[in-house]
Amino acid sequence: MVNGYQATSLKEALAILAKEAVTPYGGGTDLMIAADEKANYLFLTKVPEMKNIVEDKEYIRIGAACTFTDIIESALAPAILKEAGAQIAAPAIRNLGTVGGNICNGSPKADSALIFFATDAKLRLVSSKGERVIPIAEFYLGNRKTSLQANELLVEILMKRTGLSNYYYKKVGARAALAISRVSFAAVLNVEQGKIVACETAFGAVSDVIIRRADIDAMLVGKTIDEAKAVKEDYLAAFAQVIVPIRGRISAEYRKSVCMNLLCDFLESNGI
Amino acid sequence: MIKFTLNSQEVISLAKANERLLDVLRNEFSLTGVKCGCKEGECGACSVILDGRLVNSCLVAMGHIEGSTLVTIEGYRGTDRFAALAKAYAAVSAVQCGFCIPGMILASECILAQNPNPTEAEIREGISGNLCRCTGYNAIVEAIGIAAKGGQGLW
Repeated sequence: MVNGYQATSLKEALAILAKEAVTPYGGGTDLMIAADEKANYLFLTKVPEMKNIVEDKEYIRIGAACTFTDIIESALAPAILKEAGAQIAAPAIRNLGTVGGNICNGSPKADSALIFFATDAKLRLVSSKGERVIPIAEFYLGNRKTSLQANELLVEILMKRTGLSNYYYKKVGARAALAISRVSFAAVLNVEQGKIVACETAFGAVSDVIIRRADIDAMLVGKTIDEAKAVKEDYLAAFAQVIVPIRGRISAEYRKSVCMNLLCDFLESNGI
Repeated sequence: MIKFTLNSQEVISLAKANERLLDVLRNEFSLTGVKCGCKEGECGACSVILDGRLVNSCLVAMGHIEGSTLVTIEGYRGTDRFAALAKAYAAVSAVQCGFCIPGMILASECILAQNPNPTEAEIREGISGNLCRCTGYNAIVEAIGIAAKGGQGLW
């Protein structure tokens, strides 16, 4: 194969990555839009370790080379991820595009990355020398900038096994299919014995990096619904301050209004 | 060299691994039923079936298909399923300029292969990545429904 390597195991993929200048290729749906004649691709779709969706005691482990179709059809993938996956592009692109590619492409508009932010997922990054598991928020350094090292592959995304069923997700695009998010919002809220034990929100397509402010969400944690109502205005004001949309095709004012409306709707849908 | 199965034949392409499948199908294999509309996954005119799944061939690099099985409209047209779809499309005049039709037919096949009795919403979802600027889609949706009803046992 000229200008490419097809790896059939993770070990082989890491060995190639360690000695060759290659671009990891998941589904190709982002890479091929700006196809580069000089590109040397490392094809990962036949690496079994990156194609599985499995669970262990702590996590649902999603292989980075799983396509959105794999996720939609998986019995194990959390509903919040399936719902977002089903709204990505159109069937033919969902059959190719991978979650790993969606994350590593580094866009704040990545619809699956938003879900991984809102659920505080972790990324398992592996090189031939070792591996590290980091929260997804630490992976993103800026628009199209990630902390992925040249010899590293994103192998798995680790999602919590529980606490993701009461979720809220809205993607705002210009059309139903093949839409790039103008604004996207995902959140999880868990109430146990009358108290909010988890509130996790994430805003996509507004900033260089998906906005996930656990410090602000913490204002609601430990409170009853009534107590949360009492601090609702402060909570919304805190988010209004940190949501400063960067310039885009759609006006910043519009995207900010939509973000705040979605945040309000999320609270109201939970009685707050 | 990249080996794969193309329309039921084992073939070897001389293309580089980073070349677009779309370009290779049209230029090396002269399969011009695979249409090039946008080269960015927006239109679906270049749709082909890769290992049983609809994909945009403009978004696939050749290295990705090593060892895979590929069906284009040229390979599909000899099947009974194609005949049923062609008849249904003709019955309701679902074709006008025809540019989107190779992709649309393969999308129709993938809808019915997965679900022989799709609802209208499922049909619309299944062709949501295939643009048609002539028909307004209704006739195409109707045609797929007709093929599903008439083609009992084919899918």
